Amino acid sequence: MAIIEEISEFLQKGRAKNVKTLVQQALDEGQDPKVILNEGLLSGMMVIGEKFKNNEVFVPEVLVAARAMNAGITILEPKLVEIGNEPVGVAVIGTVKGDLHDIGKNLVTMMLKGAGFEVHDIGIDVETEAFIDKAEEVNADLICMSALLTTTMPNMQVVIDALKEKGLRDKYIVMVGGAPVNESFAEQIGADYYTPDAATCAEVAKKAVLERKGQ
Amino acid sequence: MSELLQRDDFQIEISKELVFFYLDCREDSPVYEAVEEEWEELQEEAFRLLRPQAIVVLDQCERSYGRKDLQESSQVIYVFQTIGKELGQMGARLFAQGDTFGGMMVDAMADAAFSSLAVQVEEWVRKICRDKGIGIRRRLEAAHELPMEAQQWIMEKTQADIRLGVRVSSGYMYDPVKSSGCILVTTKETELFHYQHNCRNCDRKDCKMRNIQPITIKVKGEPDQEIICTGEESILEALVRGNEAYTFPCGGRGVCGKCRIQLLEGELAETPEDQRFFTEEERKEGYRLACCAYPAEDVVIRFCGEKEEEFEVLAEAEPELERTNVRKKAAPYYIAVDMGTTTLAVSLTESKTRKTLQVYTAINRQRKFGADVISRIQASCEGKGEELQQTIREDLAEGIQQVLEMAGIKEEEVGVISIAGNTTMGHLLMGLSCETLGVTPFTPVDISMRELSFQEVFGDQSLHIPVLLLPGISTYVGADITAGMFYCGFAEEDRTSVLIDLGTNGEMAIGNKERILVTSTAAGPAFEGGNISWGIGSVPGAISDVVIEEGNVELTTIGEKTPAGICGTGAIAIMAELLKQEWVDETGLLDEEYFDDGFPIATAESGEQIVFTQKDVREMQLAIAAVRAGLETLLLRYGTDYEGVDRVFLAGGFGYKMNLEKAAATGLLPKELLGKIEAVGNSALGGAKEAVLQEGAKEKLEQLCRISQEVSLSADKDFNNFYMEYMMFE
Repeated sequence: MAIIEEISEFLQKGRAKNVKTLVQQALDEGQDPKVILNEGLLSGMMVIGEKFKNNEVFVPEVLVAARAMNAGITILEPKLVEIGNEPVGVAVIGTVKGDLHDIGKNLVTMMLKGAGFEVHDIGIDVETEAFIDKAEEVNADLICMSALLTTTMPNMQVVIDALKEKGLRDKYIVMVGGAPVNESFAEQIGADYYTPDAATCAEVAKKAVLERKGQ
Repeated sequence: MSELLQRDDFQIEISKELVFFYLDCREDSPVYEAVEEEWEELQEEAFRLLRPQAIVVLDQCERSYGRKDLQESSQVIYVFQTIGKELGQMGARLFAQGDTFGGMMVDAMADAAFSSLAVQVEEWVRKICRDKGIGIRRRLEAAHELPMEAQQWIMEKTQADIRLGVRVSSGYMYDPVKSSGCILVTTKETELFHYQHNCRNCDRKDCKMRNIQPITIKVKGEPDQEIICTGEESILEALVRGNEAYTFPCGGRGVCGKCRIQLLEGELAETPEDQRFFTEEERKEGYRLACCAYPAEDVVIRFCGEKEEEFEVLAEAEPELERTNVRKKAAPYYIAVDMGTTTLAVSLTESKTRKTLQVYTAINRQRKFGADVISRIQASCEGKGEELQQTIREDLAEGIQQVLEMAGIKEEEVGVISIAGNTTMGHLLMGLSCETLGVTPFTPVDISMRELSFQEVFGDQSLHIPVLLLPGISTYVGADITAGMFYCGFAEEDRTSVLIDLGTNGEMAIGNKERILVTSTAAGPAFEGGNISWGIGSVPGAISDVVIEEGNVELTTIGEKTPAGICGTGAIAIMAELLKQEWVDETGLLDEEYFDDGFPIATAESGEQIVFTQKDVREMQLAIAAVRAGLETLLLRYGTDYEGVDRVFLAGGFGYKMNLEKAAATGLLPKELLGKIEAVGNSALGGAKEAVLQEGAKEKLEQLCRISQEVSLSADKDFNNFYMEYMMFE
């Protein structure tokens, strides 16, 4: 097990090369790829996410760790496909129509991947239909919407209303975020969750999806 | 007469410092090197992709968006600037490849480049204004000063769409993203150049680029006064920093409605609080609450509220302890002074009867330099020492004159003025340098007992009564504590006594006439209402006690006024009651039901709910643990336990009004000591009085200082252990 812990440690320090080498070594030793992923890479990323939430580390530390995680996953991916590893959940994410901001959304994408999600980033200025079509197409669990402008915030509601109209609202967990968004706005438009930062988003998303699947 | 100017010859830079700052990457970060490598790898390409462009249009104002300044303005300037779309595309490409790190780096680089461009555009506009003989009154931008639609209008006016290929999204956002547009309101006053982006109206307090420009508040009065408002201050905060003590019983939360101002020039947005406290007509006349008014530009105002504070000052020392050592050759009267950081008390005592004839209390006007000793030390080190000295001299002299006048006594009949205060106040009064008080090893300049003339202490000869400055023990344990110990009989007793003075710094002493240990613990401002959501000082309307029974909350407020907030004793009582009801668990976690919005305590006059929040519980938890851990460490170092302590004296107004059982229930004081605790009130004033009434007092005071040893808690392992231990409510 020591090597798995080592992978997590190196990931937290952002040492992409070491992570890569160790993941390969673990595979060669015959370790279960799922264990390497969940207990090595993803658990390391969770530690970093938690520290970020508590202001113990800042954005660069998270970015460097995520890069190390990606390096490990690149090695691991073929094996995971081979054994048919299921992701925690499937998420569709985008910035709503009229809004071209993408930094916050990109950070959330990164953290969701770090939490074990399969993430489909459909970009910025996303049409209402595009959110729904993509979610249906990939059989998503989660729809995440970002808006950074007061003028585009209402488009989150448009998506939710469209989901309702199609009778699909209960099929998806809807999460919203962005600087002008807050808890009460989320409630008002009928979203399931609002989270203030990317790390919290990943944590809440994971919990919500696991809960739903458990039922 | 529209005029369009376009430039693309900007020499912009991408500052590494700025990029790292935007990324939150400090030099001591463990990943600094990795970030630096990424910077090295990307910077050249990023620089190559910069396409800086700016367009300035001088034209008439055609759309005013309901703004008075635009309606009145004949000419405005439209400014559009962008660094182009190429760098943004590079970032997007990296993100798309899953390289979030690279993408973030490029985005930060783009921000840094944009900021460099903005500086150069500003210089350009400044030159244009100079050439045209106009000034800039105000910069207007979406979404704060203008609606978002204005983005499109500015793009069209500057022809940025045609000339630069800019487009605007259905949400009125520019593409490329790193672009901005604004409208400048011009003026004939050529010296005005209020060009900078105004962050004041923006709610994003954590934005890395936040930059608040200083503005001037002119206060009409006799004489007029000008205050520079630098940070993100309300007018009230700026006033308090200014020159007077203004009344704000609610602590500036828009609840009491006391800090009324009238706006005479400039603009101040109406707040919900204004709508509650003023009629529409009054608001039209410019009436606002100073505590809720955050000016976005220079304003001229008149203050209409009250200027005097009504802090309850405790000037009594009780119970009157038995005194045998009466001074033989006594003057008929003596004056004692307690020189506190927040409040001042001056008393006049008749020697024969030992009766206090007159008491004068006031707010220490030095508060305008800061509420605690640390901020006073800072102010003193920043060259305000003389001003601080003048303020306290005037305040004390006023009190002394007042007690003499009220009692109808001539100065010749007064033997001595005896003064007890903490070390910082002592330094400030005597004009001593405070520089060494704020840095290790925290050495005071002079804390000895001094017998001086009135002139030497007060700088004038309005009176001629000799002055006695009581001695202190250290920078943190001053003459107020020496006086307190003297008052409580530490100098004569064989029994072991403990003295606790609860305030921002919880000072404590343990010992008897043979040996004494003293210390001070950083409790923070929670006991004085600071950092508590609805916290206020001991002012009328402050909730001072609370009983919760069968879901009903019963309150006691100071002066039986309508609740305005919670003072220290109230906060202790609330903590105790919440623990009793098990609505706060032993770790300090507030019950789920109250977790988000706090526990409702009362309804304020405004109709708002006064609540006690999870954060408040945490603040109290820290303050309580600091005091208790200090006490436990002191007992340990002294080599005794609760059994070995004979008497415990609680000094200060806070201790005087505190419900001891409740304090023990929160862990602030040990339950085991409950029967031995006595609240002694203002023991500093009591001690200052005894110091001149008793025979041989001076020798005893010096003896007290000599045998007192200070225990430093800052690096004490036991203290830290106790601190963690008493953080839990058990």
